[in-house]
Amino acid sequence: MVTLTYRDAVGKALEDSMREEPRLILIGQNIAGHALKILADRYGVERVRDTSISESAMVGMAVGAAMKGMKVVVMIAYADIASVCHMAIVQSAAKLYYLSNRRLSCPVIIRLPIARFRGHGPEGNQVGASWFYNVPDLNITMPGSAGEAYWNFREALQRPTPTLFFEDRSIHGRTGEVADNNPGGNAQITRSGDGLTIIGAGRAAALAEDAADQIAKQGYSGAVEVVSLGFIKPLDKDMVLRSTGKTGRALIVQDEPAWSGYAPFVRCLLDDLPPGKLRCAPRILAGADQFLPFWDERPFLPSLESVLAVARELMQ
Amino acid sequence: MEQSLLSTNSNEAIEWRLYRNMLLTRLFEEALIRWEHEGKISAQTFPSKGQEAIAIGCCAALEKGDTVIPSFRTRGAMIGMGVSIAEQLREFLHSPLAAGDARDAPHHSSWPDRGVMPGSTMIGGHLAMAAGVALAMQFEKQSTVSVAFFGDGTLGSGDLYETMHIAGAWRLPLILICENNGWEMATPFSKVRRTRALTPYAEPFGFATRSVDGNDALDVYHSARWARATARDGQPVFLDCLTLRLGLYSSHFGEVRGAGVENDLAEWQTRDPLKRMADWLMRNGSARNEDLARIEQEEEEKIEAAFDTVRGEK
Repeated sequence: MVTLTYRDAVGKALEDSMREEPRLILIGQNIAGHALKILADRYGVERVRDTSISESAMVGMAVGAAMKGMKVVVMIAYADIASVCHMAIVQSAAKLYYLSNRRLSCPVIIRLPIARFRGHGPEGNQVGASWFYNVPDLNITMPGSAGEAYWNFREALQRPTPTLFFEDRSIHGRTGEVADNNPGGNAQITRSGDGLTIIGAGRAAALAEDAADQIAKQGYSGAVEVVSLGFIKPLDKDMVLRSTGKTGRALIVQDEPAWSGYAPFVRCLLDDLPPGKLRCAPRILAGADQFLPFWDERPFLPSLESVLAVARELMQ
Repeated sequence: MEQSLLSTNSNEAIEWRLYRNMLLTRLFEEALIRWEHEGKISAQTFPSKGQEAIAIGCCAALEKGDTVIPSFRTRGAMIGMGVSIAEQLREFLHSPLAAGDARDAPHHSSWPDRGVMPGSTMIGGHLAMAAGVALAMQFEKQSTVSVAFFGDGTLGSGDLYETMHIAGAWRLPLILICENNGWEMATPFSKVRRTRALTPYAEPFGFATRSVDGNDALDVYHSARWARATARDGQPVFLDCLTLRLGLYSSHFGEVRGAGVENDLAEWQTRDPLKRMADWLMRNGSARNEDLARIEQEEEEKIEAAFDTVRGEK
């Protein structure tokens, strides 16, 4: 077990994958000469390839290379750009395994850093994971910790279907433990408690952990349990039901608006609990249903304060 | 025995192979339309009538390990790569033996182990995939090429230019083959682009280009041989194969090109690639009219027999 920052965990996942998977290549803009120069120096520019600004073709080419048994990580500069290559993700990457009747696999990662709080404005600060929520065979991960960042990356390259890797840059500096073994894409209990389960992914999971710690400090140690989803599709339903069945209260936090995404899905999933298990109606705390302005994104997103407020309400 | 006419017999004279595979493509597509109208199958067919020389001529020039991605009108690429009529019919009829389990629409059926890769209904989307196949071939230092077929309507697709942009820079072993029939369904090319000839589109991206008589199987074959050598040598190739669709847009939509196309059709009927190849065989003394009539008759019977066989598969 090692302790790493979220950022370094992604870096280690890239490095370890490159070392262990000789048929893995990385394609993206400004990677060989800049962002991933260390990997280019170590593994060569044949495997760390600078491309033009051609996201649709980059994803399409990754699928073609996968047809020949290669693995590819497509480095997209930030998550909003997934809209540029939506066709290639949905039509080419996600469907290859199905359309070929499982004769061809598509172990492709599309790395989509969420550019939160970086002044990109409304064309650059969206998450966009929920845009893809109803695409079968498309894995979506939004790691909330260093451990999830590392292992979900490694896990994704073992799957026969492609993965959107929503790397949350707003939590790049958080440190966490990276386990020695792959938890296989399961959700993680990152704080244990018996009074309330807070469920989230990415930044929202980190907020939930901070809220649990704050509540513990205020004398309610062991009150809040946090389920960090990691993979938001497919999603670890058992873990969600086990935890909420135990605590009897649920709060789902999501940065994106609540029309779609894991929050309404998990909220519906809770109907699978036996009658009487929940002590109060589950709540969703989600981002506002609007674009996020350049001047400040925070007022429109879940915050530590708003998570704490709803958590207290639910536990009263 | 359904493979008797396929291109697996490499000792066969190339002219005969081209003729037989074009004939098989024509007859099979005619049968597909007939079966659909009789209610025996439900798939829409996009016949390549008049354009068969492009797929057949190209595939005859390929070698083991090469791959193709057909367009939705390139049935001949499946035949040219040696996929039997029965194997193709299994996808139409959802036979339990269908390799692809009839998941994809039959014009996109794939047989990866035979070099026929899955395409895309998104116009242009498959070109990037073909470039990715070429990238893998280059990475593995295989001396093979990746081929993609597409109609000239694809010239409007951004993915074509993104793909050429990268493939040219990376010198991928990629061959783009345009079935340039001058129509985008019901729209003549002149309404949506300036020139019929497409080689000027590809040259600036670093592609070697050639204008090809798409109705002359031998011209396509020799051009594809050159393209293969060139692509393996480090320069991707764009073949602009001029042709005219002699058949329907599709079995559902029928003829959609409107008044005025009749004159063009009459002229291009005289350049029918199948007739031209038959004439060549007779002119060169290797075939007589009655031989060709007999072959056609035999093939029709085999296609019908394949249908009955596949329909009976449990």
